[in-house]
Formats: sequence, structure tokens, C-alpha cells
Amino acid sequence: MMNQENHMTSEKDMKTLTTVKSTRRRIAAGVAGASAALILSGCATNAPQDTWKPKGENAAKIDTLQKMVFPIAGIVGVLVLALAAYIFIKFRDQGQEIPAQSHGKPVVEIVLTIIPALILSVVGVFTFRTIFDLAKTEDTEMIINVTGQQWWWEYDYPAQEAQGITQPIITSGQLVFPVGTKVLLRETSRDVIHSYWIPALNGKKDAVPGRIHLLRLQADKPGIYAGQCTEFCGLSHANMRMEAVALSKEDFAKWVANQQKAYTAPAEGTLAKEGETVFLNQCARCHQVNGIKDATGKAVISAPDENVYAGAAPNLSHLMSRNTFAGATFDLLTKDCRSSVWDAASEEFGAKYLAGVSESCLNQKDLRAWLRNAPAMKPMYADPAKLKPTGGKYRGMPNLNLTEDDIDKLVAYLLTLK
Amino acid sequence: MFTPGSKYFLGLTGLSFVSAVLYMFFVNPSDLGAVALIGVALAGALIAGFTLLTRDGDVFTADEAVEAAAQPITPSMWPMAFALSLAIVLIGLATRPIVFVVGVGLFFGSGIEWAIQNWANRASADAEFNGFVRARAISALEYPGLATVGGAIIAYCFSRVMLGVSKEGAPIVFIVAAAFVLAVGVAVAFKPSFRGKPALATILVAAVVLVTAGITFTVKGERHELAEVSKADEYNIKNRECGPESAPSDHLANNNVSMRSSVAATITVEDGKVYAQLVGIPTKVDSVTVPRSNFTNILFRNLDSEERRLMVNLGTQKVAETGVVEKVGTCTQLTGKGQENVITITVPKPSSADQQYSFTVPGVTGEIKLVVP
Repeated sequence: MMNQENHMTSEKDMKTLTTVKSTRRRIAAGVAGASAALILSGCATNAPQDTWKPKGENAAKIDTLQKMVFPIAGIVGVLVLALAAYIFIKFRDQGQEIPAQSHGKPVVEIVLTIIPALILSVVGVFTFRTIFDLAKTEDTEMIINVTGQQWWWEYDYPAQEAQGITQPIITSGQLVFPVGTKVLLRETSRDVIHSYWIPALNGKKDAVPGRIHLLRLQADKPGIYAGQCTEFCGLSHANMRMEAVALSKEDFAKWVANQQKAYTAPAEGTLAKEGETVFLNQCARCHQVNGIKDATGKAVISAPDENVYAGAAPNLSHLMSRNTFAGATFDLLTKDCRSSVWDAASEEFGAKYLAGVSESCLNQKDLRAWLRNAPAMKPMYADPAKLKPTGGKYRGMPNLNLTEDDIDKLVAYLLTLK
Repeated sequence: MFTPGSKYFLGLTGLSFVSAVLYMFFVNPSDLGAVALIGVALAGALIAGFTLLTRDGDVFTADEAVEAAAQPITPSMWPMAFALSLAIVLIGLATRPIVFVVGVGLFFGSGIEWAIQNWANRASADAEFNGFVRARAISALEYPGLATVGGAIIAYCFSRVMLGVSKEGAPIVFIVAAAFVLAVGVAVAFKPSFRGKPALATILVAAVVLVTAGITFTVKGERHELAEVSKADEYNIKNRECGPESAPSDHLANNNVSMRSSVAATITVEDGKVYAQLVGIPTKVDSVTVPRSNFTNILFRNLDSEERRLMVNLGTQKVAETGVVEKVGTCTQLTGKGQENVITITVPKPSSADQQYSFTVPGVTGEIKLVVP
């Protein structure tokens, strides 16, 4: 009887042991699979924000530094983690005797202090040299003011004779600049801290309210370089994208000339003209179109400071010369047209970009959805019932409850803003 | 299989996860609240894994733990202090924020003390050893905490005394206080008989005197001129003119340490001429572009022989009630030779042909265009 009970207990123990081992194997396989997926994601070829593919002088300096630092950090990291894992597993509590406790071993402590200090000193020398190199601004050839707000970037170009900019230019979503030119971004923010980062062109730099931070960009070749706000800045932080567009110097001059062109009102009796009226009634409270006039011929100045927490909304002058809208969250171009611009060869890129957005290439689906109900497209604090914390001001574009008829008119009007 | 620590964190993980699911269903699936709750769940799961792996980091055997748990609990004042702190927190919620903050501080302090003492009581069967364990765990927090509170009381009381006594009396008080500290230090260093109780008694008496004086001057308030300046608020733009007159506050703000910390541009007047330089670019420019509706700091540097001030001209506006068109603008305080002043401007409307903005310095020819795109 006793033997039978012992036998049963032993069988039960064996079963429990097998279950535990099997569970551990499954967990280990899961962890290994997840790690492999994470590591393999680094091999993606279509990765426009890859930090390991510099396309300009400043990013190349960072790349050179990280190619030296990462292997060192990687080896040290793997060694430390492997050692920690070994200790965790080898000496975990299994009911064994507690070993004799000892304290201090000067030789080991000194060696373990000196080795990291030496490694850090070597890394530090190269790091500081790169930091000072990147901070140089005295040979700047062009300046652009960059202002962040929830959740888009505004770019304004002060008048600069050398660049052919005779009157200020203001745009958003896409930063346009000439290749081979040392461009200085003067960053600030209107509301919270944001961070500007175009990985292919330079490192990141915080945009802080009340402060001016400097960041240099330079691109070797024409093209579009994608970026992303890298300082958590609220609900739509993940949707706060940016694109830096590098044009050849000749193409940049054309872009500047177009941006400085005076406003042309749509012809009377057209759908676009009706759209201009809708714009004046619904949109011009926050969005500026330079040169637009009301029915009495008076210049219309928007008042985003009265309606928007940040005090600004994107200036829509020459909107259709850009490829994106809503903080570069959505494309103004259809997928095919966008691909033809993004994938264009360097020599063809300028012409394709400067062609802007034609009616056939307009991404009507997203633009109409945005006009229909913007907060449904991009999370924003735009519920009129929940504006107490901001004194009744919106953060983001509210739902204007436009009719489909109004949307048709607005789309027709916006298409004229070339 | 599950240790007490892992049970707590597994519970936290489960609760957070369930809360996140409910939140997503009933509140908002894309709201930050859901992200935060899932974050807590993930963090809880990670820590639960660690506690399971390390068995709560408990170095005692199971037998020792049982024996320790069976020990009678030593008397403790911390539960009472904890309850009292909760009452203070509630009183603070209903009365003044400072009471609430003090209550929260006491809440955490007494809570940590109670938790550590409770943990130490279970360390072993030996009460003396448990006391040692408690001291080792909490001393690193207790001493700095008490030192911080003591230091804060001394600094607060001393500041009240210095703000309360007359301008002439303040240096004397400072010299007396410094001489006392030096004398006590010398006595402790060179007179062994002074160490111990005499030194302690002297420091206690000094502390009582300082706290009494601090309370007295807190009740009495700051000296007359400080109270007046604070009442008049001469730094408020509404209370001063941009004319040539000089007010007491004109010279107080010159060369503040903080003024160079972040300016968009520096406007300099030198040899009767005015010019601007943008941060990051050494060349002189005749226009400054600033973003609309944004706080922007401008540094004014006077290298002229006379006192100057920078004026910011922001066009004109019609007063709604009277229909009168008046100039809009602001200015820095008067700035002496070789000195600097900072001004912060916010321009809500863009500049245009009809509405042009500029920086000027009265008495100096030329202007810097202020462009707001």
C-alpha cells in the first residue's frame, strides 16, 4: 500500500517536472522568436529613417562616430548581460546553503574601474570632437526658422539675397532647401517640447518654447528625406512627421520664385471661386493664405491665436506645391504619384517635385476625409466639450461639420493654391 | 511557486491589463490612458518575472522566514503617523495647497518607515538584529531627509530675518551669524572640553533663537521698501512708460545672468547706429524674422555712451470703444553703457505692407525691421 502511494507521488512529481520544463521551453522559444524578429527588422531595405544611411555631411560625421562606438558598446553590453544572465540562472535559489559572505577585493575593484574609464575616455574624445564639429555655424549659407507645435512643423524663410529670397516664405510639412548648401535651422516651439530629426541629414535637436536651438542640415543629393518628432509631445506625437526636400540650386530657385508669387484668386463663376468663399467663412479664422481678400477687397488676416492653443495653424499659401498635409501625416499625392516623386532619379527629382499636385494626382480620399472630420483622421484635442484646460482653444483641427457640397468646393479651391 | 513580491506584481499586471481593456472599450481606445495602463501592465509583468526568478531576492531560508514571521510585532509609531498624514492630506485638499503638500510628504515618509520597520521585524527571530537591519535599510534615507528638512528650516528662517531687518542691519546680522558659526567651529576644533554636550547645547540655543526670529519676521513681513516694490510691480509693462524717464526698476534688470540663455537675436546700438545679429550667424542684418504667436526673446546691447532703451513698434490698432487709432508697442528698461537688457515679445498677427513692425532706439537713427511671416 505504502509502495503504491510512493509510486503515485513520484509519478505526479515527474508529471509536474515535465510540465514545468515544457513551459520553460515554450517561453524560451517565444523570447528567441521575438528577439530574432526584432533583430531581423534591422535588415529592412525600405527604411527611409535609417540612421545608418547618411545622406549629408553632418549625418556622415555621426555615422563615423557611431560605427566606432556601437561595436565597443555592443561587446561590453553583450558581455555584461551574458554574465548577469549566467549569475541569475546559476545562482538562483534552489534551497542550497547560503555561501560564505565576503566584502571587497581592491584589485578587482580597481581593474573594473580603470577599464571602463579608459573605454569611456576613448569614446569621449571622439564624441566631443564630433559634437563640436556639428555645433559649428559660422559658415552657414542659409537660415530657416523652424517652429514646432502640436502636431506639425512650420518653416519660415527670412529674406536672404544670396538665396534669392527677397520676401519671407512660410510653409509647413516639407522643409525645402538646396543641395550642397549649409542650412542652419533655428528651432523653437509654440507649446510643448518637440524634437526635430531627419536621420539621414543630422542628429535630433529639441525645439523648446522660449529658446532657439540650432541644427545644421546639408544634403548631398536631391531627394526627400523623412523624419519624425522624437520628443513625446502629446496625443498625436507619432503623427508629427516631417520631410526635408533637397532640390538642386536651379530647382530651388524655381521653388522660391513660385513661393513668392502673388496670390491669384480663382475665376468668377467657377467651383473654385465658391470654394474660396467657403474657405473665407470656415477656414480663414485659423489658416492664412497670403494675399487672399474678402468680398470688400480687404486683406484677410487669420486669427489662430484666438482659436488655437499654440497660436498658429499651417499657412496654406501654395499648398499644392507640397506633397503632404496635416503635419506631413497624410500625402497630398496618390500612392503612384508619390512613388514617382520619391523614387525619381536625382536628375529628374526636381522637375517631378516642382510639378506639385495636379488634379489627377491629388489624394482626394484622405483630403476629403480630413475636411469631413479631421479629429477622426488624427487624434487631437478638438472636442469642443473638452476645451476647459486650454481656455476654450483647440489643439489640432476640429470637426467643422462641412457638407459634402462645401467639401467639393474646398477641394476645387485648394487645388488652385499652386 | 509564487513569492509574495511576484504575487503583488502579477496582481498589478492583471489589474492594469483588465483596466486597459475596459478603458479601451468604455472610454477611448486610442487615448493615452490606455497606453499608460498597458505600460503599467508590461512593467508589472517584467518586474514579476524578475521577482519570480530571484525569489524576491530573499536570502533567508523558509524555516527562518517562518520563525521571523512568528515574532511578536514591536510597538511602532508609524501606523499612527501614517493615519495622521492621511488626515493632513484630506485637510490640505479642503484648505491650502501647502498643507496638502506637507501631508503628501508625511504620507510617503511615514509609509516608507512603516513598511521598512514591518519588513525588518520579519528578518529574524532576534529583535536586536532586526533593529540593525531596519537601520541599515532606512538610514540612507533618514539622515539625508532629516538634514534636508533641517537645512530648509534654517534657510527659510534666515531668509525671513534677512528680508525683514533693515538694509543697514542686514550686514550686521550676517556678520554676527557668520562670526558665531566660526567661533563654534574653532571651539569644537581646539577646545576638547567644549565638544559633546556644551557644543550641542550651544547649537540648540542658536537654533531656537533662529527659528524664533524666523517666525517673528515671517509674521512681521518684509521690510518696507521690498513690500512696496512687490506691491507696485514695476516690471509690469502696464505700470511704466516707454519714455526717457527713469524708474527704480530700470537699472535692476540690467545684465541679468539669465538673459543670454536663449535669445533669437541681439540688437546692438554702437556709435549712434543700430544693427542686429541672429543667433548662430555672426553677420549684421537689418531685419529680424520671428514666428507668429510665439514668445521670442530679443537681447538689447547698448555700446553707446548714453543710456538707451530698445522700442518694439508693433503697428497701430483702433480702440473699440473710442475709435481712436493708437500705436502698439513695448520697450526695454533704460540700459546703461556697456549693459544689456532682454525683452520678450509675442506678435499674434503677421506683418504686412499695411502693418509694418520694427525695432528702434530713441535718439539713434535707423531701424531694424521686425518681420512676422
